[in-house]
Amino acid sequence: MSPDGSGKMERMDLAQQRTTPAVAERTKIRVEHLNFYYRSQPALFDVSVDILDRQITALIGPSGCGKSTFLRCLNRMNDTIPGTRVEGRILLDGRDIYAPGTDVVELRRRVGMVFQRPNPFPQSIFDNVAFGPRVLGLARGRELEDIVEESLRQAGLWEEVKDNLREDALNLALGQQQRLCIARAIAVRPEVILMDEPCSALDPIATLGIEELMRQLREHYCIVVVTHNMQQAARVSDWTGFFWLGRLVEFGSTQTLFTRPSQGLTEDYITGRAG
Amino acid sequence: MGRQTFEQQLQKLQEDVLVLGSMVEDALMEAVAALKRRDLEASRRLILADQIINERRFAIEAECLTLIATQQPLAGDLRTIAAVLEIATELERIGDYAKGIARISLMIGTGPLVKPLIDIPRMAEKARDMLHRALEAFIRRDAAAARAIPEEDNELDALYNQVYRELLTYIIADPRTIDGATHLLWVAHNLERTGDRVTNICERVIFTVTGEMTELDVKEEGLCGAS
Repeated sequence: MSPDGSGKMERMDLAQQRTTPAVAERTKIRVEHLNFYYRSQPALFDVSVDILDRQITALIGPSGCGKSTFLRCLNRMNDTIPGTRVEGRILLDGRDIYAPGTDVVELRRRVGMVFQRPNPFPQSIFDNVAFGPRVLGLARGRELEDIVEESLRQAGLWEEVKDNLREDALNLALGQQQRLCIARAIAVRPEVILMDEPCSALDPIATLGIEELMRQLREHYCIVVVTHNMQQAARVSDWTGFFWLGRLVEFGSTQTLFTRPSQGLTEDYITGRAG
Repeated sequence: MGRQTFEQQLQKLQEDVLVLGSMVEDALMEAVAALKRRDLEASRRLILADQIINERRFAIEAECLTLIATQQPLAGDLRTIAAVLEIATELERIGDYAKGIARISLMIGTGPLVKPLIDIPRMAEKARDMLHRALEAFIRRDAAAARAIPEEDNELDALYNQVYRELLTYIIADPRTIDGATHLLWVAHNLERTGDRVTNICERVIFTVTGEMTELDVKEEGLCGAS
């Protein structure tokens, strides 16, 4: 289904999406005519969008609309699901991440991910953050300690855990665990951070803490966040995309999308009359 | 699945604006009618009744804030509530103009008016009619009507300029009429300002429908442009 009922998004809309955000900012990820299939079942239809560097892009839409599928396409996490297929192109800094010969491990280092539920490893706080740099051979010794400290500082957790780095990460509160997972994602020096419902398991105070952290991280990273919480999208993001039945119905500045969306379907969804 | 409770609350909010609007329309017409028939008691009642208009306006404002806090409205709903906040303020100000006319009526007292009231009641009728249609346009989400109504403000301005010139001739002919003429000029000024408030309401109607912030002040150069 599409806003005009024709089943296709207007080309003009796509052209507008391209030009609107890209005027002053640098495109980090360009998605061109992306189709995605779970076996023969299509899940995304002709999605095209530019995602800007050092900005927060939120993806909203009802359950099953394809927003998480889309997010997982951005670092090829869907590759791990048998029978999936991708058409179209996703360019990271101008290079197609689905091109043959792409180093998927390196891609996932550059495009990190934070999941719905905090998922720290059953190890110490230090080892959780040091895990990626160790595996990738990025650092060791003093240099590794510096990376752990810097990552925990960026994740706003350093002051709370600096005296307990050897403690089990699972003893942290949920909000702290999620910030630890963000520190773990940051530790491998990514360029993009994908967040899939990062606050859905957290209480309101911890949620606000993560949102504040996202605003700070925006200074250094391109952030794409999937959220069910429209108020959260409105609070934290610079750009918002609305997905509906596998299509990107509308993409625009968060301010415009939540005050005067151009598509009736977007209006119906965000005002609670559809979805 | 809709948000039926919220829809009902939003509906009620707009009905409350209509009720406030009709109270203000009545106050405006009654203020001029009381002046015309030299009914000081009616003028006193109107001054007291303005308090009810003010209370209604505050109640609408409180309803808006409650809806924003509890329902987190977005898009068209948010624009509607923002418009209601603005429109309620404009209506309350028009209520103040009606109260102002009632006060002027008391200041003039029981003595004769310096001239028969002909154009001033016309101004009141025109202002009331514009206000009524502006609120209808809001309820119907009629942006075209909202764009057209402010153009009629020029008629109100023309009547005001006519009243001004006529009163000037009275003053020149007999300086003892200065007080009485000035009082009537104030009345006409309040009615002329009502037209400007209606224009503001029309701007909010367009904002509600389209999301555009539009300036609709099409006032021609002249006396009332300086007010």
